[in-house]
Amino acid sequence: MKKPAVPLILNDFEKQEKEVAYNLGMPGLRIQYFRGPVWGKTNEQLKKQIVEGSNPITGKPAMPELVELLTKPLTAEEQRTGEVKQDLGPKTYTGTPDELQKLFLKKRYTDFLPVVLPTEDKVAEMMKFTSHQPTEILGKMNPGSEAGEAWSYTVKEAAVSAVMAGAQPEYFPVILALGSTGMTAVNVSDNGFMAGAVINGKIRDEIGLNYEEGAVGPYAQANTTIGRAWSLLSINGGNCGKVGTTYMGTIGNPMNLIGIIIAENEQKSPFKPLAVRRGFKEGENVVTLFMGWGILSAKNWAATVWGPNMNYPEIIKEIYDTQDGHLFGTCAVLSPPIANFVKDAGYDTVEKFTEWVTGQLPGAKPAARGMEINSGVRRSGGMFTVIVTGGSNNNYFSMGGMVPSMSVQIDKWR
Amino acid sequence: MKSRIAVIAILYIGLVCSVSMRSNQTYAQGKSAASANGPVVMPKITVLNPMGTPPPITLIPQAPRLNTLDGKTIYFINTGFIGTDRLMAVMSDWFKANYPKTNIVYKDNKGGAGLAELSKALWTEISEKGDAAIVGLGH
Repeated sequence: MKKPAVPLILNDFEKQEKEVAYNLGMPGLRIQYFRGPVWGKTNEQLKKQIVEGSNPITGKPAMPELVELLTKPLTAEEQRTGEVKQDLGPKTYTGTPDELQKLFLKKRYTDFLPVVLPTEDKVAEMMKFTSHQPTEILGKMNPGSEAGEAWSYTVKEAAVSAVMAGAQPEYFPVILALGSTGMTAVNVSDNGFMAGAVINGKIRDEIGLNYEEGAVGPYAQANTTIGRAWSLLSINGGNCGKVGTTYMGTIGNPMNLIGIIIAENEQKSPFKPLAVRRGFKEGENVVTLFMGWGILSAKNWAATVWGPNMNYPEIIKEIYDTQDGHLFGTCAVLSPPIANFVKDAGYDTVEKFTEWVTGQLPGAKPAARGMEINSGVRRSGGMFTVIVTGGSNNNYFSMGGMVPSMSVQIDKWR
Repeated sequence: MKSRIAVIAILYIGLVCSVSMRSNQTYAQGKSAASANGPVVMPKITVLNPMGTPPPITLIPQAPRLNTLDGKTIYFINTGFIGTDRLMAVMSDWFKANYPKTNIVYKDNKGGAGLAELSKALWTEISEKGDAAIVGLGH
Protein backbone atom coordinates (compact mmCIF):
# COMPACT_ATOMS: atom_id res chain seq x y z
CA MET A 1 0.00 0.00 0.00
CA LYS A 2 3.14 2.18 0.15
CA LYS A 3 2.06 3.87 3.36
CA PRO A 4 4.00 3.59 6.61
CA ALA A 5 2.61 0.88 8.82
CA VAL A 6 3.58 -0.51 12.20
CA PRO A 7 2.40 -3.91 13.41
CA LEU A 8 1.70 -4.37 17.12
CA ILE A 9 3.14 -7.65 18.34
CA LEU A 10 3.45 -9.37 21.71
CA ASN A 11 7.08 -9.40 22.78
CA ASP A 12 6.97 -13.20 23.16
CA PHE A 13 6.68 -13.39 19.37
CA GLU A 14 9.71 -11.17 18.67
CA LYS A 15 11.98 -13.96 17.40
CA GLN A 16 9.23 -15.40 15.25
CA GLU A 17 8.15 -12.08 13.79
CA LYS A 18 11.70 -11.10 12.93
CA GLU A 19 12.10 -14.37 11.04
CA VAL A 20 8.75 -13.95 9.29
CA ALA A 21 9.60 -10.36 8.34
CA TYR A 22 12.99 -11.54 7.05
CA ASN A 23 11.39 -14.28 4.98
CA LEU A 24 8.93 -11.76 3.55
CA GLY A 25 11.77 -9.48 2.46
CA MET A 26 11.60 -6.92 5.27
CA PRO A 27 14.38 -7.89 7.67
CA GLY A 28 14.32 -4.53 9.45
CA LEU A 29 10.56 -4.15 9.62
CA ARG A 30 9.58 -1.65 12.29
CA ILE A 31 7.48 -3.48 14.84
CA GLN A 32 6.10 -2.18 18.13
CA TYR A 33 6.26 -4.84 20.83
CA PHE A 34 4.20 -4.89 23.98
CA ARG A 35 3.66 -7.27 26.83
CA GLY A 36 0.71 -9.59 26.39
CA PRO A 37 -1.54 -11.33 26.32
CA VAL A 38 -4.26 -8.74 25.83
CA TRP A 39 -7.04 -11.30 25.74
CA GLY A 40 -9.21 -11.12 28.83
CA LYS A 41 -7.94 -7.77 30.07
CA THR A 42 -10.12 -4.74 30.70
CA ASN A 43 -9.58 -1.40 28.95
CA GLU A 44 -8.22 -0.01 32.20
CA GLN A 45 -5.69 -2.84 32.51
CA LEU A 46 -4.63 -2.40 28.89
CA LYS A 47 -4.24 1.34 29.36
CA LYS A 48 -2.08 0.93 32.45
CA GLN A 49 0.00 -2.01 31.24
CA ILE A 50 0.48 -1.16 27.58
CA VAL A 51 -0.44 2.43 26.70
CA GLU A 52 1.19 3.87 29.83
CA GLY A 53 3.80 1.12 29.93
CA SER A 54 7.00 0.44 28.07
CA ASN A 55 8.15 -1.73 25.23
CA PRO A 56 9.49 -4.73 27.18
CA ILE A 57 12.30 -5.19 24.67
CA THR A 58 13.64 -1.64 24.31
CA GLY A 59 12.44 -0.35 27.67
CA LYS A 60 11.18 2.85 26.01
CA PRO A 61 7.72 4.29 26.76
CA ALA A 62 5.44 2.45 24.34
CA MET A 63 3.31 5.16 22.75
CA PRO A 64 5.98 7.79 22.06
CA GLU A 65 8.07 4.98 20.59
CA LEU A 66 5.16 3.99 18.38
CA VAL A 67 4.95 7.56 17.07
CA GLU A 68 8.70 7.48 16.43
CA LEU A 69 8.34 4.30 14.37
CA LEU A 70 5.88 6.15 12.14
CA THR A 71 7.85 9.37 11.84
CA LYS A 72 11.59 8.72 12.20
CA PRO A 73 13.22 8.74 8.74
CA LEU A 74 14.21 5.36 7.33
CA THR A 75 17.82 4.22 7.43
CA ALA A 76 19.62 3.07 4.30
CA GLU A 77 19.30 -0.54 5.51
CA GLU A 78 15.53 -0.16 5.82
CA GLN A 79 15.36 0.99 2.19
CA ARG A 80 17.62 -1.73 0.81
CA THR A 81 16.44 -3.68 -2.24
CA GLY A 82 17.78 -6.78 -3.96
CA GLU A 83 17.62 -10.51 -3.35
CA VAL A 84 18.86 -12.59 -0.45
CA LYS A 85 19.58 -16.30 -0.64
CA GLN A 86 19.43 -18.42 2.48
CA ASP A 87 22.40 -20.70 3.07
CA LEU A 88 21.18 -24.09 4.19
CA GLY A 89 24.60 -25.70 4.24
CA PRO A 90 26.24 -28.28 1.98
CA LYS A 91 24.27 -31.01 0.23
CA THR A 92 26.13 -33.71 2.13
CA TYR A 93 27.99 -34.10 5.40
CA THR A 94 30.80 -36.54 6.11
CA GLY A 95 31.78 -37.81 9.53
CA THR A 96 31.53 -40.71 11.92
CA PRO A 97 28.00 -41.79 12.87
CA ASP A 98 28.41 -40.23 16.31
CA GLU A 99 29.62 -36.97 14.84
CA LEU A 100 26.77 -36.88 12.36
CA GLN A 101 24.13 -37.61 15.01
CA LYS A 102 25.48 -34.68 17.01
CA LEU A 103 25.61 -32.49 13.91
CA PHE A 104 21.99 -33.29 12.99
CA LEU A 105 20.95 -32.51 16.53
CA LYS A 106 22.87 -29.22 16.55
CA LYS A 107 21.43 -28.16 13.20
CA ARG A 108 17.96 -29.09 14.42
CA TYR A 109 17.34 -31.58 11.63
CA THR A 110 15.81 -33.95 14.14
CA ASP A 111 12.97 -34.22 16.64
CA PHE A 112 15.65 -34.58 19.36
CA LEU A 113 15.56 -38.36 19.09
CA PRO A 114 18.35 -40.27 17.32
CA VAL A 115 17.71 -40.77 13.64
CA VAL A 116 18.73 -43.30 11.03
CA LEU A 117 21.49 -41.47 9.19
CA PRO A 118 20.39 -40.84 5.59
CA THR A 119 23.18 -42.27 3.44
CA GLU A 120 22.80 -42.22 -0.31
CA ASP A 121 22.34 -46.02 -0.27
CA LYS A 122 19.49 -45.94 2.24
CA VAL A 123 17.78 -43.12 0.39
CA ALA A 124 18.16 -45.05 -2.88
CA GLU A 125 16.45 -48.05 -1.23
CA MET A 126 13.55 -45.79 -0.29
CA MET A 127 13.37 -44.38 -3.79
CA LYS A 128 12.86 -47.90 -5.23
CA PHE A 129 9.30 -47.78 -3.95
CA THR A 130 8.24 -44.87 -6.11
CA SER A 131 8.33 -44.26 -9.84
CA HIS A 132 8.62 -40.52 -9.30
CA GLN A 133 11.84 -38.71 -10.06
CA PRO A 134 14.07 -37.72 -7.14
CA THR A 135 14.14 -34.09 -8.22
CA GLU A 136 10.37 -33.77 -8.62
CA ILE A 137 8.92 -31.10 -6.34
CA LEU A 138 6.67 -33.06 -4.01
CA GLY A 139 5.08 -30.15 -2.22
CA LYS A 140 5.30 -26.79 -0.54
CA MET A 141 4.79 -26.26 3.14
CA ASN A 142 4.99 -23.63 5.82
CA PRO A 143 4.30 -23.88 9.54
CA GLY A 144 1.01 -21.99 9.31
CA SER A 145 -0.84 -19.52 7.18
CA GLU A 146 0.98 -16.45 8.49
CA ALA A 147 4.35 -17.94 9.24
CA GLY A 148 6.11 -16.85 6.08
CA GLU A 149 6.49 -18.10 2.55
CA ALA A 150 6.26 -21.83 1.94
CA TRP A 151 9.37 -23.92 1.45
CA SER A 152 9.46 -26.58 -1.23
CA TYR A 153 10.83 -30.10 -1.04
CA THR A 154 11.56 -32.84 -3.53
CA VAL A 155 10.68 -36.52 -3.60
CA LYS A 156 14.28 -37.30 -2.66
CA GLU A 157 14.19 -34.93 0.31
CA ALA A 158 11.06 -36.72 1.49
CA ALA A 159 12.99 -39.99 1.15
CA VAL A 160 15.71 -38.52 3.37
CA SER A 161 13.15 -37.75 6.08
CA ALA A 162 11.63 -41.21 5.65
CA VAL A 163 15.03 -42.85 6.19
CA MET A 164 15.73 -40.65 9.20
CA ALA A 165 12.37 -41.66 10.72
CA GLY A 166 13.20 -45.35 10.45
CA ALA A 167 10.49 -46.04 7.90
CA GLN A 168 10.63 -49.18 5.79
CA PRO A 169 10.91 -48.45 2.04
CA GLU A 170 7.50 -50.00 1.36
CA TYR A 171 5.91 -47.24 3.48
CA PHE A 172 7.28 -44.57 1.17
CA PRO A 173 4.21 -44.08 -1.08
CA VAL A 174 2.14 -43.23 2.00
CA ILE A 175 4.78 -40.73 3.15
CA LEU A 176 4.84 -39.18 -0.31
CA ALA A 177 1.05 -38.91 -0.33
CA LEU A 178 1.21 -37.08 3.00
CA GLY A 179 4.00 -34.80 1.79
CA SER A 180 2.19 -34.03 -1.44
CA THR A 181 -0.60 -32.29 0.47
CA GLY A 182 1.66 -29.55 1.83
CA MET A 183 -0.07 -29.84 5.18
CA THR A 184 2.33 -29.64 8.09
CA ALA A 185 2.29 -32.17 10.88
CA VAL A 186 3.71 -29.46 13.17
CA ASN A 187 1.62 -26.31 13.15
CA VAL A 188 3.01 -22.99 14.39
CA SER A 189 -0.19 -22.00 16.21
CA ASP A 190 -0.03 -20.96 19.84
CA ASN A 191 -3.10 -23.17 20.27
CA GLY A 192 -0.92 -26.22 19.80
CA PHE A 193 -2.72 -27.94 16.95
CA MET A 194 -1.92 -31.54 16.09
CA ALA A 195 -2.17 -33.30 12.76
CA GLY A 196 -3.23 -36.81 11.95
CA ALA A 197 -4.12 -39.00 9.03
CA VAL A 198 -6.54 -41.85 8.47
CA ILE A 199 -5.51 -44.53 6.02
CA ASN A 200 -7.97 -46.68 4.12
CA GLY A 201 -7.51 -49.41 1.56
CA LYS A 202 -5.58 -52.60 1.02
CA ILE A 203 -2.27 -50.93 1.71
CA ARG A 204 -3.07 -51.14 5.41
CA ASP A 205 -2.36 -54.87 5.28
CA GLU A 206 0.38 -54.65 2.66
CA ILE A 207 2.61 -52.55 4.88
CA GLY A 208 1.45 -53.81 8.27
CA LEU A 209 -0.38 -50.83 9.68
CA ASN A 210 -1.93 -51.63 13.02
CA TYR A 211 -5.68 -51.24 13.23
CA GLU A 212 -6.33 -53.75 16.03
CA GLU A 213 -5.53 -53.35 19.75
CA GLY A 214 -3.44 -50.23 20.35
CA ALA A 215 -4.31 -48.89 16.91
CA VAL A 216 -3.79 -45.23 17.76
CA GLY A 217 -1.01 -45.97 20.22
CA PRO A 218 2.61 -45.62 19.20
CA TYR A 219 3.68 -49.26 19.21
CA ALA A 220 3.45 -50.26 15.57
CA GLN A 221 6.36 -49.70 13.23
CA ALA A 222 4.40 -48.62 10.18
CA ASN A 223 2.06 -46.23 11.99
CA THR A 224 4.82 -44.68 14.06
CA THR A 225 7.54 -44.28 11.46
CA ILE A 226 5.15 -42.95 8.81
CA GLY A 227 3.95 -40.36 11.31
CA ARG A 228 7.53 -39.53 12.31
CA ALA A 229 8.58 -39.19 8.66
CA TRP A 230 5.74 -36.71 8.14
CA SER A 231 6.86 -34.72 11.18
CA LEU A 232 10.53 -34.76 10.12
CA LEU A 233 9.56 -33.71 6.61
CA SER A 234 7.61 -30.85 8.19
CA ILE A 235 10.68 -29.83 10.20
CA ASN A 236 13.19 -30.07 7.35
CA GLY A 237 11.08 -29.56 4.25
CA GLY A 238 8.65 -27.02 5.67
CA ASN A 239 10.77 -25.20 8.27
CA CYS A 240 8.39 -26.21 11.04
CA GLY A 241 8.84 -27.13 14.67
CA LYS A 242 11.44 -24.56 15.74
CA VAL A 243 10.46 -23.33 19.19
CA GLY A 244 10.34 -19.54 19.28
CA THR A 245 9.99 -19.06 15.54
CA THR A 246 7.94 -21.72 13.79
CA TYR A 247 6.55 -23.57 16.81
CA MET A 248 4.70 -21.23 19.12
CA GLY A 249 2.33 -23.51 21.03
CA THR A 250 1.80 -21.83 24.38
CA ILE A 251 1.91 -25.19 26.12
CA GLY A 252 2.66 -27.26 23.00
CA ASN A 253 1.13 -30.57 22.00
CA PRO A 254 2.90 -33.93 22.44
CA MET A 255 1.10 -35.24 19.37
CA ASN A 256 3.35 -32.99 17.25
CA LEU A 257 6.28 -35.34 17.86
CA ILE A 258 4.81 -37.98 15.60
CA GLY A 259 1.89 -37.30 13.29
CA ILE A 260 -0.95 -39.58 14.39
CA ILE A 261 -1.49 -42.29 11.78
CA ILE A 262 -4.75 -44.18 12.11
CA ALA A 263 -5.64 -47.13 9.92
CA GLU A 264 -9.33 -47.88 9.93
CA ASN A 265 -10.37 -51.38 10.91
CA GLU A 266 -12.36 -51.85 7.73
CA GLN A 267 -12.67 -55.61 8.24
CA LYS A 268 -14.56 -55.27 11.52
CA SER A 269 -16.34 -51.97 10.94
CA PRO A 270 -20.06 -52.18 10.19
CA PHE A 271 -19.77 -48.92 8.24
CA LYS A 272 -18.28 -47.94 4.93
CA PRO A 273 -14.68 -46.79 5.26
CA LEU A 274 -14.04 -43.08 5.71
CA ALA A 275 -12.47 -42.79 2.24
CA VAL A 276 -15.49 -44.41 0.60
CA ARG A 277 -17.78 -42.01 2.44
CA ARG A 278 -15.67 -39.21 0.97
CA GLY A 279 -16.13 -40.43 -2.60
CA PHE A 280 -13.34 -42.93 -3.19
CA LYS A 281 -13.77 -46.52 -4.34
CA GLU A 282 -13.96 -49.47 -1.97
CA GLY A 283 -10.46 -50.81 -1.38
CA GLU A 284 -8.77 -47.74 -2.84
CA ASN A 285 -5.66 -46.67 -0.97
CA VAL A 286 -6.37 -43.23 0.41
CA VAL A 287 -4.99 -41.03 3.15
CA THR A 288 -7.27 -38.41 4.75
CA LEU A 289 -5.67 -35.62 6.70
CA PHE A 290 -6.96 -34.36 10.02
CA MET A 291 -6.17 -31.38 12.17
CA GLY A 292 -7.28 -30.40 15.63
CA TRP A 293 -6.67 -30.68 19.33
CA GLY A 294 -6.22 -34.42 19.34
CA ILE A 295 -8.05 -37.68 19.55
CA LEU A 296 -8.74 -37.71 23.27
CA SER A 297 -10.85 -35.53 25.50
CA ALA A 298 -11.60 -35.51 29.19
CA LYS A 299 -15.12 -36.66 28.42
CA ASN A 300 -14.09 -39.98 26.93
CA TRP A 301 -16.10 -43.08 27.70
CA ALA A 302 -18.54 -41.30 30.04
CA ALA A 303 -17.19 -43.44 32.85
CA THR A 304 -19.75 -42.08 35.29
CA VAL A 305 -22.51 -43.92 33.48
CA TRP A 306 -20.88 -47.33 33.48
CA GLY A 307 -23.44 -49.98 34.27
CA PRO A 308 -24.82 -53.32 33.15
CA ASN A 309 -26.86 -51.71 30.39
CA MET A 310 -25.13 -49.20 28.15
CA ASN A 311 -26.75 -46.97 25.56
CA TYR A 312 -23.61 -46.09 23.64
CA PRO A 313 -25.25 -44.00 20.88
CA GLU A 314 -26.90 -41.86 23.55
CA ILE A 315 -23.61 -41.50 25.45
CA ILE A 316 -21.82 -40.42 22.27
CA LYS A 317 -24.55 -37.91 21.56
CA GLU A 318 -24.35 -36.51 25.09
CA ILE A 319 -20.60 -36.10 24.83
CA TYR A 320 -21.00 -34.46 21.42
CA ASP A 321 -23.47 -31.97 22.86
CA THR A 322 -20.99 -30.84 25.48
CA GLN A 323 -17.99 -30.49 23.14
CA ASP A 324 -16.91 -27.12 21.85
CA GLY A 325 -16.59 -27.90 18.21
CA HIS A 326 -16.17 -24.37 16.98
CA LEU A 327 -12.73 -24.95 15.47
CA PHE A 328 -12.33 -28.66 14.98
CA GLY A 329 -15.67 -30.31 15.51
CA THR A 330 -15.93 -33.65 17.24
CA CYS A 331 -14.23 -36.80 16.08
CA ALA A 332 -15.46 -40.12 17.44
CA VAL A 333 -12.89 -42.90 17.22
CA LEU A 334 -14.97 -46.02 17.77
CA SER A 335 -13.73 -49.53 18.43
CA PRO A 336 -15.55 -52.17 16.35
CA PRO A 337 -17.77 -53.30 19.28
CA ILE A 338 -18.96 -49.72 19.85
CA ALA A 339 -19.54 -49.20 16.12
CA ASN A 340 -21.67 -52.35 16.14
CA PHE A 341 -23.67 -51.10 19.11
CA VAL A 342 -24.39 -47.98 17.04
CA LYS A 343 -25.42 -50.08 14.05
CA ASP A 344 -27.61 -52.37 16.19
CA ALA A 345 -29.37 -49.28 17.55
CA GLY A 346 -30.66 -48.62 14.06
CA TYR A 347 -27.95 -46.41 12.61
CA ASP A 348 -26.63 -48.61 9.85
CA THR A 349 -24.71 -45.82 8.16
CA VAL A 350 -22.45 -43.11 9.52
CA GLU A 351 -24.61 -40.57 7.73
CA LYS A 352 -27.74 -41.64 9.67
CA PHE A 353 -25.83 -41.65 12.93
CA THR A 354 -24.40 -38.21 12.17
CA GLU A 355 -27.81 -36.77 11.42
CA TRP A 356 -29.11 -38.04 14.73
CA VAL A 357 -26.09 -37.01 16.81
CA THR A 358 -25.74 -33.54 15.38
CA GLY A 359 -29.38 -32.79 14.87
CA GLN A 360 -28.71 -31.71 11.34
CA LEU A 361 -31.55 -31.98 8.92
CA PRO A 362 -31.39 -34.82 6.37
CA GLY A 363 -29.90 -33.50 3.18
CA ALA A 364 -28.49 -30.41 4.86
CA LYS A 365 -26.28 -28.42 2.57
CA PRO A 366 -22.62 -29.28 3.17
CA ALA A 367 -20.29 -26.51 4.18
CA ALA A 368 -18.02 -25.17 1.47
CA ARG A 369 -14.96 -27.11 2.58
CA GLY A 370 -14.15 -29.45 -0.27
CA MET A 371 -15.07 -33.01 0.42
CA GLU A 372 -16.29 -32.70 3.96
CA ILE A 373 -19.65 -34.35 4.14
CA ASN A 374 -20.64 -34.31 7.77
CA SER A 375 -21.55 -30.64 7.78
CA GLY A 376 -24.63 -28.53 8.23
CA VAL A 377 -24.51 -29.00 11.97
CA ARG A 378 -26.34 -26.89 14.48
CA ARG A 379 -25.22 -28.29 17.82
CA SER A 380 -22.22 -27.34 19.91
CA GLY A 381 -20.01 -30.24 18.91
CA GLY A 382 -19.71 -28.90 15.39
CA MET A 383 -18.74 -31.15 12.54
CA PHE A 384 -19.04 -34.81 13.52
CA THR A 385 -16.66 -37.40 12.11
CA VAL A 386 -16.58 -41.13 12.76
CA ILE A 387 -13.50 -43.33 12.48
CA VAL A 388 -13.61 -47.05 13.31
CA THR A 389 -10.39 -48.65 14.48
CA GLY A 390 -8.88 -50.68 17.29
CA GLY A 391 -9.46 -54.05 18.85
CA SER A 392 -12.54 -55.84 20.09
CA ASN A 393 -11.30 -56.62 23.57
CA ASN A 394 -13.64 -54.12 25.23
CA ASN A 395 -16.27 -51.47 24.63
CA TYR A 396 -14.13 -48.39 24.41
CA PHE A 397 -14.11 -45.35 22.21
CA SER A 398 -12.61 -41.89 22.17
CA MET A 399 -14.09 -38.48 21.43
CA GLY A 400 -11.64 -35.79 20.44
CA GLY A 401 -11.49 -32.60 18.42
CA MET A 402 -10.25 -33.29 14.91
CA VAL A 403 -11.62 -32.20 11.60
CA PRO A 404 -10.83 -33.85 8.26
CA SER A 405 -9.41 -31.81 5.44
CA MET A 406 -8.26 -33.26 2.13
CA SER A 407 -8.10 -36.89 1.06
CA VAL A 408 -5.46 -38.02 -1.43
CA GLN A 409 -4.75 -41.23 -3.31
CA ILE A 410 -1.68 -43.16 -2.27
CA ASP A 411 -1.14 -45.32 -5.34
CA LYS A 412 -0.21 -42.41 -7.58
CA TRP A 413 2.93 -42.12 -5.47
CA ARG A 414 4.05 -45.71 -6.07
CA MET B 1 31.87 -85.18 55.42
CA LYS B 2 29.02 -82.80 54.63
CA SER B 3 31.18 -79.81 55.53
CA ARG B 4 33.98 -81.05 53.21
CA ILE B 5 31.51 -81.38 50.36
CA ALA B 6 30.24 -77.88 51.09
CA VAL B 7 33.78 -76.49 51.07
CA ILE B 8 34.53 -78.26 47.77
CA ALA B 9 31.28 -76.92 46.31
CA ILE B 10 32.12 -73.37 47.37
CA LEU B 11 35.63 -73.68 45.96
CA TYR B 12 34.18 -75.01 42.69
CA ILE B 13 31.71 -72.16 42.41
CA GLY B 14 34.50 -69.73 43.18
CA LEU B 15 36.60 -71.31 40.44
CA VAL B 16 33.80 -71.05 37.88
CA CYS B 17 33.14 -67.43 38.83
CA SER B 18 36.83 -66.72 38.66
CA VAL B 19 37.10 -68.22 35.19
CA SER B 20 34.06 -66.24 34.10
CA MET B 21 35.44 -62.99 35.51
CA ARG B 22 38.85 -63.63 34.01
CA SER B 23 37.16 -64.30 30.72
CA ASN B 24 35.43 -60.92 30.93
CA GLN B 25 38.66 -59.25 31.94
CA THR B 26 40.41 -60.86 28.99
CA TYR B 27 37.68 -59.51 26.73
CA ALA B 28 38.00 -56.08 28.26
CA GLN B 29 41.76 -56.21 28.06
CA GLY B 30 41.47 -57.30 24.45
CA LYS B 31 39.46 -54.18 23.69
CA SER B 32 41.74 -51.92 25.62
CA ALA B 33 44.70 -53.63 24.02
CA ALA B 34 43.28 -52.68 20.70
CA SER B 35 42.85 -49.17 22.05
CA ALA B 36 46.40 -49.21 23.28
CA ASN B 37 47.53 -49.56 19.68
CA GLY B 38 45.74 -46.31 18.90
CA PRO B 39 42.24 -44.90 19.23
CA VAL B 40 39.42 -46.96 17.73
CA VAL B 41 38.64 -45.23 14.48
CA MET B 42 35.01 -45.24 13.47
CA PRO B 43 34.55 -45.29 9.73
CA LYS B 44 33.32 -42.05 8.24
CA ILE B 45 30.16 -42.01 6.19
CA THR B 46 28.52 -39.42 3.99
CA VAL B 47 24.91 -38.47 4.56
CA LEU B 48 22.47 -36.16 2.85
CA ASN B 49 21.35 -32.76 4.07
CA PRO B 50 17.60 -33.18 4.77
CA MET B 51 16.59 -29.55 4.29
CA GLY B 52 14.08 -28.40 1.72
CA THR B 53 14.39 -25.22 -0.27
CA PRO B 54 13.22 -21.86 1.03
CA PRO B 55 11.93 -19.36 -1.51
CA PRO B 56 14.31 -16.61 -2.60
CA ILE B 57 13.86 -13.47 -0.55
CA THR B 58 13.27 -10.25 -2.43
CA LEU B 59 13.95 -7.29 -0.20
CA ILE B 60 11.07 -4.82 0.04
CA PRO B 61 11.95 -1.28 1.13
CA GLN B 62 9.71 0.13 3.82
CA ALA B 63 7.42 3.00 2.95
CA PRO B 64 8.78 6.49 3.71
CA ARG B 65 7.86 7.78 7.16
CA LEU B 66 5.69 10.81 7.90
CA ASN B 67 7.19 14.19 8.80
CA THR B 68 4.42 14.83 11.27
CA LEU B 69 1.21 13.24 12.47
CA ASP B 70 -0.64 16.57 12.47
CA GLY B 71 -3.36 16.61 9.87
CA LYS B 72 -2.71 12.97 8.97
CA THR B 73 -5.14 10.08 8.94
CA ILE B 74 -4.01 6.96 10.74
CA TYR B 75 -5.91 3.72 10.30
CA PHE B 76 -6.11 1.45 13.32
CA ILE B 77 -6.62 -2.04 11.92
CA ASN B 78 -7.92 -4.74 14.21
CA THR B 79 -6.97 -8.03 12.58
CA GLY B 80 -9.54 -9.85 14.66
CA PHE B 81 -7.67 -11.64 17.42
CA ILE B 82 -9.46 -11.56 20.73
CA GLY B 83 -8.77 -8.46 22.81
CA THR B 84 -7.35 -6.36 19.99
CA ASP B 85 -10.49 -4.21 19.82
CA ARG B 86 -9.99 -3.09 23.41
CA LEU B 87 -6.29 -2.45 22.86
CA MET B 88 -7.06 -0.37 19.78
CA ALA B 89 -9.66 1.61 21.72
CA VAL B 90 -7.25 2.64 24.48
CA MET B 91 -4.51 3.41 21.97
CA SER B 92 -6.91 5.55 19.94
CA ASP B 93 -7.78 7.46 23.11
CA TRP B 94 -4.08 8.15 23.71
CA PHE B 95 -3.65 9.51 20.18
CA LYS B 96 -6.75 11.69 20.49
CA ALA B 97 -5.41 13.16 23.74
CA ASN B 98 -1.80 13.63 22.58
CA TYR B 99 -2.26 14.26 18.86
CA PRO B 100 -5.62 16.05 18.60
CA LYS B 101 -4.89 17.14 15.03
CA THR B 102 -4.52 13.52 13.89
CA ASN B 103 -7.53 11.78 12.41
CA ILE B 104 -7.98 8.22 13.71
CA VAL B 105 -9.99 5.72 11.69
CA TYR B 106 -10.74 2.36 13.33
CA LYS B 107 -11.43 -0.69 11.17
CA ASP B 108 -12.50 -4.10 12.39
CA ASN B 109 -11.63 -7.28 10.57
CA LYS B 110 -14.91 -8.99 9.96
CA GLY B 111 -13.47 -11.87 7.94
CA GLY B 112 -11.65 -13.75 10.66
CA ALA B 113 -8.47 -13.50 12.70
CA GLY B 114 -5.11 -12.63 11.23
CA LEU B 115 -3.38 -10.38 8.78
CA ALA B 116 -4.05 -12.73 5.89
CA GLU B 117 -7.78 -12.38 6.48
CA LEU B 118 -7.85 -8.64 5.82
CA SER B 119 -9.73 -7.77 2.67
CA LYS B 120 -8.19 -6.23 -0.42
CA ALA B 121 -10.81 -3.51 -0.25
CA LEU B 122 -9.53 -2.45 3.15
CA TRP B 123 -5.93 -2.26 1.94
CA THR B 124 -7.11 -0.19 -1.01
CA GLU B 125 -9.01 2.15 1.30
CA ILE B 126 -5.96 2.66 3.51
CA SER B 127 -3.87 3.29 0.43
CA GLU B 128 -6.29 5.88 -0.92
CA LYS B 129 -7.52 7.60 2.21
CA GLY B 130 -4.92 6.93 4.89
CA ASP B 131 -1.46 8.28 5.61
CA ALA B 132 -0.33 5.46 7.88
CA ALA B 133 -1.60 2.33 9.57
CA ILE B 134 -1.20 0.62 12.91
CA VAL B 135 -2.07 -3.03 12.56
CA GLY B 136 -3.00 -4.86 15.72
CA LEU B 137 -2.18 -8.53 16.06
CA GLY B 138 -2.71 -8.94 19.77
CA HIS B 139 -3.84 -12.20 21.28
